[in-house]
Amino acid sequence: MNTKLSAGLLAAGVLLAPGIAAASTPSCGANTGEAATGAPILIGGIHGNAAPGDFSSATDAAAAYFSCVNANGGVHGRPIEYMVENDQWNPELAARAAAKLVTDAGVVAMVGNSSFVEMSVNAPLYASSNTMAMAAGCAASECFESSNIVSTNQGPLPSSVGAAMYAVEELGATSVACIGLAIPSVGNWSCGAVEEYMASKGLSGASVLMNPAAPDVNSALLEAIASGADSMLVNLPVGLGIAYFGVAQEQDLGDVYSWTSSTPIYDASVPGALGDYWHGKVYVSAELTQIDGDGPDNLNWQAVMDAYASEDDPRDIFSQSGYLAAKFFVETLMDMDPAQLDDRAAVTDAIKAINGKTSDLVCGPYYVGEADRHMPNHAGIIVVVKDGGFEKVRDCFEYEGACFDGLIEAEKALGLR
Amino acid sequence: MTKITPSGWAGTIFFVVMILALPSLSGGQWIKIFTSTSCFIIAASGVAFMYARLGMVSLGQVALMGVGGWIMLRMNHAFNLPFEINLAVAGGITMVFGWVLAIPALRMRGLYLALITLMAAGGLEVIFSTYRFPNGGTGFWGVMPSVAAPFRRPAIATSDAAYLRYVMLATFLGFALIEAHRRLAPGRAWAMIRRSEAAALASGVNVIYYKAWAFGLSGFLAGIAGGLLAGGLGLLDAATFRASESIMLFALAVVGGARFWLGAVIAGVLYRVLPALFNDWSLDADLTLVIFGAALLHAIITAPDGLSGQIIGLFSKRKGQS
Repeated sequence: MNTKLSAGLLAAGVLLAPGIAAASTPSCGANTGEAATGAPILIGGIHGNAAPGDFSSATDAAAAYFSCVNANGGVHGRPIEYMVENDQWNPELAARAAAKLVTDAGVVAMVGNSSFVEMSVNAPLYASSNTMAMAAGCAASECFESSNIVSTNQGPLPSSVGAAMYAVEELGATSVACIGLAIPSVGNWSCGAVEEYMASKGLSGASVLMNPAAPDVNSALLEAIASGADSMLVNLPVGLGIAYFGVAQEQDLGDVYSWTSSTPIYDASVPGALGDYWHGKVYVSAELTQIDGDGPDNLNWQAVMDAYASEDDPRDIFSQSGYLAAKFFVETLMDMDPAQLDDRAAVTDAIKAINGKTSDLVCGPYYVGEADRHMPNHAGIIVVVKDGGFEKVRDCFEYEGACFDGLIEAEKALGLR
Repeated sequence: MTKITPSGWAGTIFFVVMILALPSLSGGQWIKIFTSTSCFIIAASGVAFMYARLGMVSLGQVALMGVGGWIMLRMNHAFNLPFEINLAVAGGITMVFGWVLAIPALRMRGLYLALITLMAAGGLEVIFSTYRFPNGGTGFWGVMPSVAAPFRRPAIATSDAAYLRYVMLATFLGFALIEAHRRLAPGRAWAMIRRSEAAALASGVNVIYYKAWAFGLSGFLAGIAGGLLAGGLGLLDAATFRASESIMLFALAVVGGARFWLGAVIAGVLYRVLPALFNDWSLDADLTLVIFGAALLHAIITAPDGLSGQIIGLFSKRKGQS
């Protein structure tokens, strides 16, 4: 990792050291301990919760953080009203949700958005209405290629490339089969980047893409085996990923191939679901840092969730991501002129001016800037499924590939490198 | 031919009021809901007229909407033509698609015809899921892994509110097209075919020709509906056009009442507005399926002309009493 990042993390650690000691007491916003009063600041959020998965953990965590802020003095004394809609993985519902929040309610920004479809549909509306979306669960390419959307998570492309890098550099893979869903802006996009990475190393890669409407993990496994790969990269939502490992276990392929996965598998419930067979065999590329990490932000995330979220709300990587998006957003509002908090254009300008925010939850600096493409988080860690949990086997490292070149140039221009 | 019935007057007044008032009174969210509702009313009118005039059950109407929407998006991203030309092409090609679908179906009736159309809808669902909808990419399928290229709406209806008016006007014209057919030679032929195909054949009616005509008209309306739906968001998703949605739309057309224009309006409202209301009330929108099931049972058991038949019957009774 670069020097600036290391220094940033060190500084964050020193400044927030008291927070470690008092990890069970959440620290939010002005941290006054007094409830905010007055007219609320309207903020929106959209998640997808329906088959094939529940992506609400990001907005749950953002809501918990905003509740914590409201109980601790709010933003310049004013509370945040966080309005969350569910797009149910349906583009029409996603468009309606955005119209309800942006057009009808007049929110000043969107925070914690987490969906496969929402960003693809609403990116033009966010741009035309000059609304910034500080997303937390981007899963499709469109999300990263919009002037008005920036996410704290990485999405499947960087995460998959990170997994492929680890497979090549540490597990000796020479041919990787990337198993994903046949959604152009998701599976094709991310597995295509894995193929490009492998080709850049003089190695081979193959994409095995399943029909999302009728995914057949048995057929996908057979196709992956037929590709001649010596390493399997599972790039699927958590439920399908577990099913894929299940059919591979039935064929006793655990030691025949090396196994890596993109982030969705990094869920506290997965080691138990996979069973002992896979322990020590599945390496996961994590988009944020460890969910059981002892950094100040991670401890505060846990404390906020314990104090302000439901016990049933997942404590996963998208929850970390939602918390972080909300925290960066509140910090941005706190630095604004109180008279401009209801001015969407002013809030958008303030968000676009974010530069070099650091946290122990992410490996690199978080920034926005004026750009048609945003992907500040493109470095991660590797964990392995072990002893009923996860164990970190590689610390923060940056991903390689031509698709990151433009981002690195942008970071140089912003003075982050 | 030119005489306008009381039902026709009621429909005309209803649409004029709606076109003038609805976009002005609705917020951004509801404008989108009503736009989608209007599109599905057009599609429901096609499936309802096939059922009411010919007794033919088509379970592929929403899938045909997908065909229209696909062509609309492909035309929009491939050529710099006006919206109306793209829409006409989408309707025309979907009409041909309806004819192609009709070829094996014309010798079938009842359950077998329904099954054939359902299988076609299932096939289209797989194609849509696999290849997705054009979003400005290159090649035949036109899909790229990026934000969709801009969609050109009609020059007179670029805003959401104006586009809702445009779609509602198209809905009204769709009903007028069906009514014109009902009053001309095809309508008379369909009436005879519905009573008895043998009698119609003996009277010199070309049964195959007029059945295919009906399929074509229904396909045209589905294509127009799909094209207009594409204009609402500027993109489409395969999940909208599942085979199960075609079954649902047909069932709601029966609930609404296939014989009357009001029935298609009720079908569209139940299909799109009721789930939206449930979402707004933070209720599970899937609960509407329970309501739809109960309404279908009600329609089958006690209201063969559907809710619209009951409403119109109520007015007729009051008129008779006065």
